[in-house]
Amino acid sequence: MSAAAHAYLNTRVSVMSARLLNPDRANALLGLALPELAERLGLQSVIEDQLSAHAKARAVEQALMQTLLADVAVLIRPMNPAERALLLSWARRYALFNLKTLIRGKLYHLDPGEIRKDLYDLPPGLRLARDELFRTENVLELLRVLERGPFSLLARQAREVYEQKREPFALEAAIDQQYYNDLVRQTMRFQGASLQPLRRLMGALLDRVDLMWMLRFRFAYGFSPSETFYQLVPSPRLLHRERLLALVNHENLRQLLDALPEPLAARMADAGDLLEVQRRAVAHQAEETRHILTQSASGVARALAYLMLREMDLMLLFALLQGGLLGLPPDVIKSAVDPHAFGAANGGGALAAAA
Amino acid sequence: MQHVRLMLMAEDLPRASLALAETAQFHPDTRPPEEQALANPPGRDYRETFAMARSRLDKIARILELEDSPEPGQTRVIDHDDLAALNQQLGTLWEDASRLEEDFRRLDEEERVLREQEAALENFANLNVDLGALKRKTRFLDFYIGLVPRENVSRLEGAVALAGHLLLHFLQRDNHAHVVIIGPSGEREKQLASVLSSAGFQALPIPEGITDKTPEQLEADFRARHQALEARRGALKQRLVDLRTKHCEQLLDARRMLLLAEPLVTLDPSIHGVKSLAVLCGWVPTRAIERLRENLGAHLQLPFALETRRPTAAERPLVPTVPTHNRLLAPFSTLVKQYGIPQYGEIDPTPLFAVTFLLMFGMMFGDVGHGAVIALAAYLARAKLKNFAAFGMAAGVSSMLFGFVFGSIFGVEHWLPALWMPPLQDPITLLKVALVWGIVFIIAACSLGIYNRFAVGNIQGALLAPHGLVNLLFYLGFLTGGWNLATRGGFGLWPGVIVLGSLATLAVHQWRHLSGPVGEKMLVVFIETLDTVIVYLSNTLSFLRVSAFSLNHAALAIAIFTLADMLGTFGTIVTLILGNLFILVLEGGIVMIQVMRLQYYEGFSRYFSGDGHEFAPLRFGEVKKLRS
Repeated sequence: MSAAAHAYLNTRVSVMSARLLNPDRANALLGLALPELAERLGLQSVIEDQLSAHAKARAVEQALMQTLLADVAVLIRPMNPAERALLLSWARRYALFNLKTLIRGKLYHLDPGEIRKDLYDLPPGLRLARDELFRTENVLELLRVLERGPFSLLARQAREVYEQKREPFALEAAIDQQYYNDLVRQTMRFQGASLQPLRRLMGALLDRVDLMWMLRFRFAYGFSPSETFYQLVPSPRLLHRERLLALVNHENLRQLLDALPEPLAARMADAGDLLEVQRRAVAHQAEETRHILTQSASGVARALAYLMLREMDLMLLFALLQGGLLGLPPDVIKSAVDPHAFGAANGGGALAAAA
Repeated sequence: MQHVRLMLMAEDLPRASLALAETAQFHPDTRPPEEQALANPPGRDYRETFAMARSRLDKIARILELEDSPEPGQTRVIDHDDLAALNQQLGTLWEDASRLEEDFRRLDEEERVLREQEAALENFANLNVDLGALKRKTRFLDFYIGLVPRENVSRLEGAVALAGHLLLHFLQRDNHAHVVIIGPSGEREKQLASVLSSAGFQALPIPEGITDKTPEQLEADFRARHQALEARRGALKQRLVDLRTKHCEQLLDARRMLLLAEPLVTLDPSIHGVKSLAVLCGWVPTRAIERLRENLGAHLQLPFALETRRPTAAERPLVPTVPTHNRLLAPFSTLVKQYGIPQYGEIDPTPLFAVTFLLMFGMMFGDVGHGAVIALAAYLARAKLKNFAAFGMAAGVSSMLFGFVFGSIFGVEHWLPALWMPPLQDPITLLKVALVWGIVFIIAACSLGIYNRFAVGNIQGALLAPHGLVNLLFYLGFLTGGWNLATRGGFGLWPGVIVLGSLATLAVHQWRHLSGPVGEKMLVVFIETLDTVIVYLSNTLSFLRVSAFSLNHAALAIAIFTLADMLGTFGTIVTLILGNLFILVLEGGIVMIQVMRLQYYEGFSRYFSGDGHEFAPLRFGEVKKLRS
């Protein structure tokens, strides 16, 4: 990327960063009733529509996601192909959500109309060959269609997993693995000033993902160390391959958290359960991401950091709106999010819904 | 064009759709109904069933490689029950076809694994490993030989290490790696099996009796297995052919049925209603209203009402425009469409475009010989060029006619007497002609633009928009002043008043429509006003290229003849041929681009909004006769 394009992108990111939530704004949002919040976000029509709570929540989620994707579209414009590909790969997770929804729907023989309602409407650059996939009538046909496209390797692997295990978990895990592997691979191809900040950014993301997956697979699902290790994607930062090999052998949550490298170990010092670990892991990622946004000179790393933080903010908004739509008491909604994490120097914890 | 509103009973919708498609004059209006009560559209089930049946038919046709199109036949009403029954039939057939497709996929997979097995054994043979020993499972050791996707190898290596096993990666082919996993047998075997399955591990079994067989025998075994697979593939292909033969007619019938059901589905977004009452809105050319009414009356079984009205002023942008159907003008119409579709009420610019395009092309590339070559080439390539053949021939003929005017044939100017004069004889006169042509063109374009805006009810736009009446007044004043300046030495009072008055009017209009600080508004108004002067001046001068290219054509020909004169006989012939080719291809291409540029930027941008949409009536292909 040229210096001018960097300057433009950096300026753009700086201007857009003003939209990110800080603790004061987040707290102010927490105090708002559903109609006020919806009005502020321009979502009154969705809230007032004659739809079920689930359908409204879905429409809200879709609207918030469109906001995020609009930011992606703006930021990728001045980028070179490799940078653009990285940001689009990051955003492609929504396409993979659609793929998982389709697989789950086909596996459980859900009504096509129901499946369609749960699919995100994505722009052409991110979209799967959705119509063709949607027209499939069972998992095997779906996999055959996938094998003909860019997901051929994933589809082949998914087929083997499906034929042997017949459960969506294995398929979805394979999809997630491929997604994160692709992101790391693309990141490591960068050279020059962007490599380090991108490594740190991607490392923070994968450290959080790996920690949560490791704890869930080992202690919630009861997987063996080798099965757990296989499901993880080594991070380019704290939880790299050798460390994961050592960590998965621990027999309980406390032992594993104590064995984490610094600064994760210190952050998890008195975390007693998975929910707490999740809040702190998200806070750690948010802090690292914010550091890249404010300290890095790399336009692409700052753009990606901005998008990651923006996504967290939008998830906070979604949690608030969804809580309101479900009629949850305000204190329950407040307990699900921690606005002190926003912009705070010590991290302190972020929104639970982000993980 | 009239807006029509058809009210009918929902069960008559399939018949109505066929009647409308047969008339081929109904352009659906997809706006939501004004009446809230009509917001519950009937017929959603029909569309969903159609979509599923269509999808199944497409998939079956792809698997069975069915290419036949249905023969034209008689139309009949396809109601929802017919469609549901068809969908059911297609569902059963799709299951058979899909199973067959899955069988082919499995066969491909088996074949791939067999090839990998051959490669693995060949590799082991090179390593001089005792495969018999690997095949025998011992009490203490587990062996796994197989394939894993290349990108999973590293993670699998770590995972098996945690289970106390060792992974050896010994061969890589395409996206797969051949691995051997060895470790102690026992309690970890189960967890290892789970990891292997997650990693997409495919076992490559070592064939029976491998230690007792010679390489030739092993080779014969593999050959036999390949032959067996080929035999199975042959059988599958035969099943495919049988299935195709057995169901070909049924599938063609299904295609016919879906063809007949399609109009109703196409209409679906414009169907509204409540309970059994359906309302259908659309646009119909005035001359076709009566035929439409008669057709509906003849084929609907239940009462209906057809209301018609002229489009309101607010609806004008929504009204479709009927495209030019003249066969000769069709290629010009295609070029006009590249810019946009005329809005309803606007003058279709196609005839004007065609005439001015040919005049300018002919003048810029006037040559009897070159024009004849272009016309002949377009005629010879008419099968390939289709509609554009007429365009090429017209351009060639125009070039030829101007060739007679200039007395030029293949660049030679002394073979033919010029009807007027060769371009290089008096270039200044030629430039003057181009300038006058440009002025006439711009005035005509502005006038058309003003008319078009009046026609669509945009009075303010007609007066004050760019290239509106005030702009035209400015241009006329500017031209008169310029003429006075050239002939009398002064701009003149009235032209000055007109120019300043029109510029002031435009500036005030700009000012009123701008928001922001006063300084910024002043800057923008000043720049925009200055831009008006510069644009008209530069646009007029832009037409000088019309004569510049005719001079260029003559000059290029002279250059080629001069070059040819300097060479021997053979060189002269080659230079003349290549030079004329050069003129034809390069200069011809450039002239074409320049004419398009003048048309798009100096013409269309003045008089043609291009933001209309084309009249696309509901129709179906081959089927002609309606039967209720």
